Amino acid sequence: MLLSVVVVGIPFGIVARQSGLLPAEIVAMSVFVFAGASQFAMVQLFKDGVAWPLVVATVFLINLRHLLMAAALRPHFARASVARRLAAAYVLTDEAFAMAIGWFRRGRTELAYYATFAVALYILWNVATVIGMVLGPSIGEPRRFGVDFAITATFIAIVVLGVRRRSDAVVALAAALLASVLAYAGASVVAVVTAGAFAPLLVVFARDEAAA
Amino acid sequence: MTWLAITGSAVVTYLIRAFAFRVAMPAALPGRVARYLDALPAAIIAALAGPAVLVPGGTVTRGPELAAALVVVAVVAWRRNLLAGVLAGVAVVALLRLVLAA
Repeated sequence: MLLSVVVVGIPFGIVARQSGLLPAEIVAMSVFVFAGASQFAMVQLFKDGVAWPLVVATVFLINLRHLLMAAALRPHFARASVARRLAAAYVLTDEAFAMAIGWFRRGRTELAYYATFAVALYILWNVATVIGMVLGPSIGEPRRFGVDFAITATFIAIVVLGVRRRSDAVVALAAALLASVLAYAGASVVAVVTAGAFAPLLVVFARDEAAA
Repeated sequence: MTWLAITGSAVVTYLIRAFAFRVAMPAALPGRVARYLDALPAAIIAALAGPAVLVPGGTVTRGPELAAALVVVAVVAWRRNLLAGVLAGVAVVALLRLVLAA
């Protein structure tokens, strides 16, 4: 799990640098936003020249899932101080959530486990970002070597790794197709967020067969 | 403009994370809301990837991007490894573009 952060963080640094972002901007994203999928999305949107409110809206939608995770962790932090809870929130990620919820389900209560793991992820993510950022310029002309496709491939990989049931795949395909049709029609980037936000309605109103 | 986007993204991301840690939410969200939130991130990421695969640069792909995307799906589904999938996809797209350009 710790290794996977490095494996994603280095490509993030590389594609961010190759897209023309400044080192300070790239580091700021990893230090302050600290959300892998969102940061890749931001790089893509910057490349497309999207206005900042739409970038923020997209990040908001991608990270809305943390609402569920924080709500699930909250009971275990009931006796922690407000400062500790706010600090725990800063380093909440999918990976930290997965490890922590497994820990609490085994009947453990120590918050130090979450703190240690989440902070380790934070440090590794930032170190990996810097490594990728330094490597970035040495990789050569992006289009010729297919490096421009790396960010798209990363998106695809993130989606495939997240598929747990058939409906997940259906939603992802629907979102990709809808966004492509809209993009081809000239609606470009607004289309992306729209398609992404609408596709999940497919499962919301589907029958509950896969709710397990 | 880039800095506004980064600052705004950092703020909304933290507010989402902090909100549920501070404010009591209903123990279980309504099933439909929970399912929507659960499916949302993958859908948005797929929507970002879709146009780059099917209509890169605004014109319908001549094939390399679509072939590479299928390779990424296959490799990641098989190896459960993000980096292996990305490297395979990049290699396929570079190779096919070279062949098609010749």
